[in-house]
Amino acid sequence: MIAIEQLVKQYGGFTAVGGVSLDVKPGEIHGFLGPNGAGKTTTMRMIAGLLQPTSGSVIVNGHNLAAEPEEAKASLGFIPDRPFIYEKLTAGEFLKFHGGLYGIDGNGIMDRVHEMLDLFELRRWEHELIESFSHGMKQRLVMGAAFLHRPRAVCVDEPMVGLDPRGARLIKDVFRRMSERGVAILMSTHTLEVAEEMCHRISIILKGRIIASGTVDEVRRMAGDGDDELTAVFLKLTGGTGLQEIDELV
Amino acid sequence: MTQAFPFLLLPHVWSSRNRARRRQKGDMLRAGMFGGVGVGVCGALFAAAYWLTTKLAVYEEFGDYLLRLGLSWLFLTFIAFLAFSGVVTALSTFFLSDDLRLLMGAPVSAGRLFMARFTRTVGQASWMVLFFMTPLLMGVGIASCAPLTFYLTVVLAVPPFLVIPVAVGAGMTLLLVNVLPARRARDLLMLASLLFAAAIVLTLRFIQPERLMRVENLPDVTDFFATLQSPITPLLPSFWAGEVLFAGLQGAGDLLHGAALWTTALAFTVILAAADRRWHSAGYSRSQESPKARVTSLRIVDALAYALPLSTVRRQLLVKDVKVFLRDVSQWLQLLPLFALVLLYLYNFSALDLERIPYMSGVIKNVYALVNLGMAGFVVATVAVRFVFPAVSAEGAAFWLVRTSPVSMRDFLWSKFWTGLVPMLLFTEILTVAANELMGVDPFLKVVAAITVVFMTFAMVGLAVGLGARYPRFGADPNQVAGSYGGVAFMILAVLYIIVMIVLVGWPSAMWLFGRIRNFRFSAFREAMMVASFVAAAALSVATWLLAMRSGVRALEEMNR
Repeated sequence: MIAIEQLVKQYGGFTAVGGVSLDVKPGEIHGFLGPNGAGKTTTMRMIAGLLQPTSGSVIVNGHNLAAEPEEAKASLGFIPDRPFIYEKLTAGEFLKFHGGLYGIDGNGIMDRVHEMLDLFELRRWEHELIESFSHGMKQRLVMGAAFLHRPRAVCVDEPMVGLDPRGARLIKDVFRRMSERGVAILMSTHTLEVAEEMCHRISIILKGRIIASGTVDEVRRMAGDGDDELTAVFLKLTGGTGLQEIDELV
Repeated sequence: MTQAFPFLLLPHVWSSRNRARRRQKGDMLRAGMFGGVGVGVCGALFAAAYWLTTKLAVYEEFGDYLLRLGLSWLFLTFIAFLAFSGVVTALSTFFLSDDLRLLMGAPVSAGRLFMARFTRTVGQASWMVLFFMTPLLMGVGIASCAPLTFYLTVVLAVPPFLVIPVAVGAGMTLLLVNVLPARRARDLLMLASLLFAAAIVLTLRFIQPERLMRVENLPDVTDFFATLQSPITPLLPSFWAGEVLFAGLQGAGDLLHGAALWTTALAFTVILAAADRRWHSAGYSRSQESPKARVTSLRIVDALAYALPLSTVRRQLLVKDVKVFLRDVSQWLQLLPLFALVLLYLYNFSALDLERIPYMSGVIKNVYALVNLGMAGFVVATVAVRFVFPAVSAEGAAFWLVRTSPVSMRDFLWSKFWTGLVPMLLFTEILTVAANELMGVDPFLKVVAAITVVFMTFAMVGLAVGLGARYPRFGADPNQVAGSYGGVAFMILAVLYIIVMIVLVGWPSAMWLFGRIRNFRFSAFREAMMVASFVAAAALSVATWLLAMRSGVRALEEMNR
């Protein structure tokens, strides 16, 4: 559903993403892990059409993003790491506007808006301005927008940042239900427990390249420690724990 | 935290230094433009002050009296501005500034924080007054052949004069914020300041100062000067500053008023510091409270949008743009001075007493029709740079929503164009038609002006939207966007376009009128040239409109590179 092939992004002489390939199948939740600055967000932004790759291709639901951007985007929902939205709209108006961008209008739109508001527990705030929302509420609203047009694939960057435990649980449930309905979800996260709990497969990116990919167990085996927690595996693969240095500093 | 309070100002100093060091595309053009305008304004103020002072010097004692009165009134004008500016600036520096979260959480003593904030408030609130005051006082000093001590007096008298009204303004803010949440107070202040500015402009115009120029109204001049004096003026710092400087011009010193300035400034600072210690914390806490968002559903906007034959995407973009604009008080409030200017504009045309020169009135009226066209063009350019040019930038950090949706950048930008065009077209048509009607312009010119304005509005709105997309400043305040490199480039191009349009439309129109008045028949070649001139004006407008839009669409499409 989301297929990226040899994706490269260079800024002058600096290579942010150096030939990343991924394939997220329908109904799969694919974790995209990596340390800060590894190239996760750049890759996600290229998939969402916010950044143009230097080379390589992005295919969403069979549509090449470069050749058919509107068709590809129509099949995709994107959830960025920071929920910047129009502060002077109400939650209901924002979702209605978002639906309009995807060509959803007429009588059906308000039913769908209410479904999303109910799903993300925001119905009480339908007529409140977004500027009065907390970070977590904005994050949930953006997620509602991403699922509003019934996308076939969703690309989500750090979904759990700023969510309280209830919100995090809600998001996990929604993602699982969407995955059961065949939606492909590519999720970048730093929260390894979330990846371990939710993802069917994971890919670890380091310095712009995928260094490990597969199910959590397969990645564990690649690291040579079948019983380690994912955190230990991640640190092993991405280069040292740094704990010794922290001890020395503290 | 034992560092003296200037340490707390270092981040602003460093930020300014870093901004000055950073080189960006268009820096030279921007510096040239703004520097040129600044030098021009300073030069004009200096020349005006110099000219007026030399003229007054001819009347000896009466001239001295008027100069003394003038200095006092100059400072009175500044004091009103400084107090108001102090209120608005203090709201930001003492209560809304982002860095307060850091500073309020740090072990910084209240006294040091106050001094740093107050210094910054005085600086921010008074730099513009200093900018205008310096060339004026230089002009007065040089024209009066003032001794060097006059300039020293200026340096000593101006700082306390700046501090006093700003301290009063900051005190009012402290009071206001303890009564209202800071953000609501800001909206109220903006409304008050704009109404204040609009009222001043309208009042100054409607008292008809041109009556003073008429010989039959000569007795009014004495009344006019009588109104310039009132019993409370000697109690104001503006009077003290005027007296100190006037004494300086004579080569003498006025210690009494100088001491009054300094002691009052210091006393006000001490009182404000005490008030700040007592109430700042409570006010700052209130300013953290998120105001309960009062929402107007603006259903009429939805209803109107659904009544229009628009695609779903364009309809939703229109609804969103209009609602966001109407709910942002700081945006629509800026329409108030615009309405004041329009009233002034129309009033000026209705007040034009062209019948006083009957043998010229017909010609002048028609010349004014072309002047009106140019003026309407400049008004469109000014409104467009403030409201239309920032349209793309106004998407801000939320632009990712549009960019990740299946909406082409072409659809998006054209939606911005139509949203900007309709109100602008209505506005300029009404302005042009009403002004020409008030003047009684020839019907032919009325039609030409009405049609030309349509072309000009399309071209300038297209240019504003296109350049706004080419040079966006996402996240910046709309006022900053208007003053950015792209905004300046737009204004330059718009002015050039207006000049060319006036020539292309004005020449054949004037020729046609001339021929009709004189019963003159033009050669076929001349007629062809006249038609060609009109066609060239239309072609230029259409080309400006479409090329700018195409350039804007391309820029947006290339944004993800």
